[in-house]
Amino acid sequence: MVDIAMHMMDIAQNSIRANAKNIDISFVESQSDNELAFCICDDGDGMSSEMIEKITDPFFTTRTTRKVGLGVPFLKMTTEQTGGEFQLESELGKGTKIKAKYMTNHIDCLPLGDIPGYLILLFIANPNLQISFEYEIDSEKFTVSTAELAAEGITDLQNAEISAAIRAYVKENLGELVRIRKASSFLC
Amino acid sequence: MSKIFGGIKMAKIKSLADLKKKQDEVRSKLNLRDKADNPESLVQIKVAMATCGIASGAKEIMEFFVNELGKRNIDAVVTQTGCMGYCYAEPTIEVQLPGQEPVVYGYVDSKKADKIIELYIKKGELVDGIIPQNYETIDNK
Repeated sequence: MVDIAMHMMDIAQNSIRANAKNIDISFVESQSDNELAFCICDDGDGMSSEMIEKITDPFFTTRTTRKVGLGVPFLKMTTEQTGGEFQLESELGKGTKIKAKYMTNHIDCLPLGDIPGYLILLFIANPNLQISFEYEIDSEKFTVSTAELAAEGITDLQNAEISAAIRAYVKENLGELVRIRKASSFLC
Repeated sequence: MSKIFGGIKMAKIKSLADLKKKQDEVRSKLNLRDKADNPESLVQIKVAMATCGIASGAKEIMEFFVNELGKRNIDAVVTQTGCMGYCYAEPTIEVQLPGQEPVVYGYVDSKKADKIIELYIKKGELVDGIIPQNYETIDNK
């Protein structure tokens, strides 16, 4: 994984496979603490306590098509290499919450990557899911969600022109937000 | 100010109202059918988007399909799926033409994706690089 956007897609794919109906993605940047907390919360199948113990083991996976599962171990690795931390809460039948904290002033911190691009692909590919996204820097906030778009009557997500427009919308607003980010951050 | 994305030039989009306007504009141009009503009659493309797929560039392939199918006026649904077990051949995609068995293609790049659209999706000709995942054997019959 070369950027945080890839992790976002990867972890969201886990939620989709766990039959989640709602996925909440949030990024909270705190400039004074040099921290980025990236959080994905879903209402999918959840995991038993035994599974939670094994989830960061690269040689554990629930799938039968291959014998390794690298998504979560990679995420843990990229957070810990910056001095951050990785947390996971999950309950069977309720859902899973993954929180990854990056120290943004560490040289090994991954860049954010193409967050709008991956987010739009998630929207396009999962018309039956409710996905919400928020990005916050020092209490300035941008949010977008499939519910919000639907409430405005924007539903033709599969149309290439419209998905490109949504992408531009997210990019524009995120770009506006990150202007206040200080230069010592390695996020971009 | 204008931005270019996927070859489509567009005005700056800053608010939900701008988005709504864009959708109305697009809708008036073409008669959108509700795809969700009859997905069986459409070409379905599933892009493998697990750790292995993402690391190999599945995003670019998926964006390519979304943009190109739109440009070439092919009614298709592009969705994402998990790992199919062919991590060595990522990016992999599964293409299902209406009323046919799905076919899995491996090592897809934009050149091959173009070939798949032009030859397989448009004309039904099989393209190199099929991973035999779904074929039936005598034992199973």
